[in-house]
Amino acid sequence: MSEFVQAVINGVMLGGFYAAMMLGFSVIWGVMHVINLAHGEFIMVGAYLTWFLNKEYGWEPFAAIIVVAPVMFLLGYVLQKVLINRVVDRPHLVSLLVTFGLSIIIANVLKLVFTADSRITESSATGFWTVSEDITIPITKSVVLALALVIMISLYLFLQRTKTGKSIRAAAQNKQAARIVGIDIDKIYAITFGICIAITGVAGTMISPIQAIAPFQGPPLTLRAFTITALAGLGSIPGALMGGLTLGLLESFIGIYVDKIGTNLAIVASFALLVVILVTRPQGLFGGLRTDEEPQPL
Amino acid sequence: MTDTNGSPILQVQDLYAGYLDFDILHGVNLDVHPGEIVCVIGPNGAGKSTVFRAVYGLISVRLGHVIFDGAEITNFKPQDVLRSGIAIVPQLRSVFPQMTVHENLEMGMFLEKNKARIAERIDVVYGLFPRLGERSKQQVGTMSGGEQRMLEIGRALLLEPKLLMMDEPSAGLAPSITRQIFNHIRSLNDEIGLTILMIEQNARQGLEVSDRGYVLELGVNTYEGTGQGLIDDPEVRRAFLGGH
Repeated sequence: MSEFVQAVINGVMLGGFYAAMMLGFSVIWGVMHVINLAHGEFIMVGAYLTWFLNKEYGWEPFAAIIVVAPVMFLLGYVLQKVLINRVVDRPHLVSLLVTFGLSIIIANVLKLVFTADSRITESSATGFWTVSEDITIPITKSVVLALALVIMISLYLFLQRTKTGKSIRAAAQNKQAARIVGIDIDKIYAITFGICIAITGVAGTMISPIQAIAPFQGPPLTLRAFTITALAGLGSIPGALMGGLTLGLLESFIGIYVDKIGTNLAIVASFALLVVILVTRPQGLFGGLRTDEEPQPL
Repeated sequence: MTDTNGSPILQVQDLYAGYLDFDILHGVNLDVHPGEIVCVIGPNGAGKSTVFRAVYGLISVRLGHVIFDGAEITNFKPQDVLRSGIAIVPQLRSVFPQMTVHENLEMGMFLEKNKARIAERIDVVYGLFPRLGERSKQQVGTMSGGEQRMLEIGRALLLEPKLLMMDEPSAGLAPSITRQIFNHIRSLNDEIGLTILMIEQNARQGLEVSDRGYVLELGVNTYEGTGQGLIDDPEVRRAFLGGH
């Protein structure tokens, strides 16, 4: 019984992180129809930035968010202006290739700068709360879960309540109509990309104290973002939470109940889940941001 | 309401525009005077929608001029054309389907900062289109095509445009709904003196409610006249109005 409870606790914490981790991927896809294959690499950039501040200046990893978020926002904003914007109206394959290229460049630059050694940041929020003899709640992961919830709620309120957020939703629902009412699409896209990359970078901060980071650890995260997007529907934040929890619990249970190969099997499970969803329910399980199938021709 | 003696509010002069290196318009000229309804008709592929897109900055103008209210607006971005006082209702659906009627109208006031003014203008539009007021909380994606078209027209009027441009207001609508929309267009012109330029596939109905019309063929305008004049013109009748 306690093993089961522990699996649920671990799964919820992992799932919360996954949900926040994939938001940027899902919103970029939903708003501008770009599938960002460099998603996992952006997480790694955020993680290395955090590691650098932790190692060199002794910053608490979670405090690094105040640097990581604005730096990553700027990076995303500029990347969209100079690069992504040129391919946004082209067929999906073009943006897939561009972001795939980006992922290779980023991973290799990270390797050159930080070497291929695994790194981990040290948070002062360590240890466990002991619930009972064999059920514990890890403190670092609790902080990560709390942060994930804060990010999701903030993004939700931002998209629903603010003028910029409404413009982003409008651009996702009908690009032509957004132009007609005077929304500057190029600017909204750049802001969207900036915000999404900022959240993605912060996910790197969140992962850095709980899991070793290395330059080539992006792709498994991109894959999970894909799986959860398929579960959640594009850009749906409640869907992201449900999808993240589903995957987190699945991986946690496999990890605990399958002997020896459990952790490796978990990533296989996520791939299998993706295939099953795409075959049976391609529109996702929990609804999404938009109804437009394709960008309308202008 | 026709007042062709005054100076036109919109002048399209010798316009060449198209896609990539390929011109679709080869020197289009047309004028719209304040208070007029002007209708552009023509066969498929004549470039009617291209005129619309070129004026609105959705495609770039290669040669020629678009002059609005005395100022050159050639190759303005859509949001700048809107700021200068032209609102549009395009042919394709231009509503936000997952927002309510009210939210759609708020988005229509995107360029306005003053909240009191936003509320005031939305009330005016609810006055002009009571149906929209009744459905202010409804998700737009669940409304009928005619209601969505009304919403598009209502939203276009929020910013008190000096000119409303419509690309095929009848597109995709049942004939009875089309008639309602055209009647509404006519009454907007009568009641608030709204100046309208519309592109219409449904030539006869379009010309019936218009003060003047132009016929566009292969990227140039070939005939012009009053709405009724064009309907009565034997050449135009034979070529574009089904010959009777």
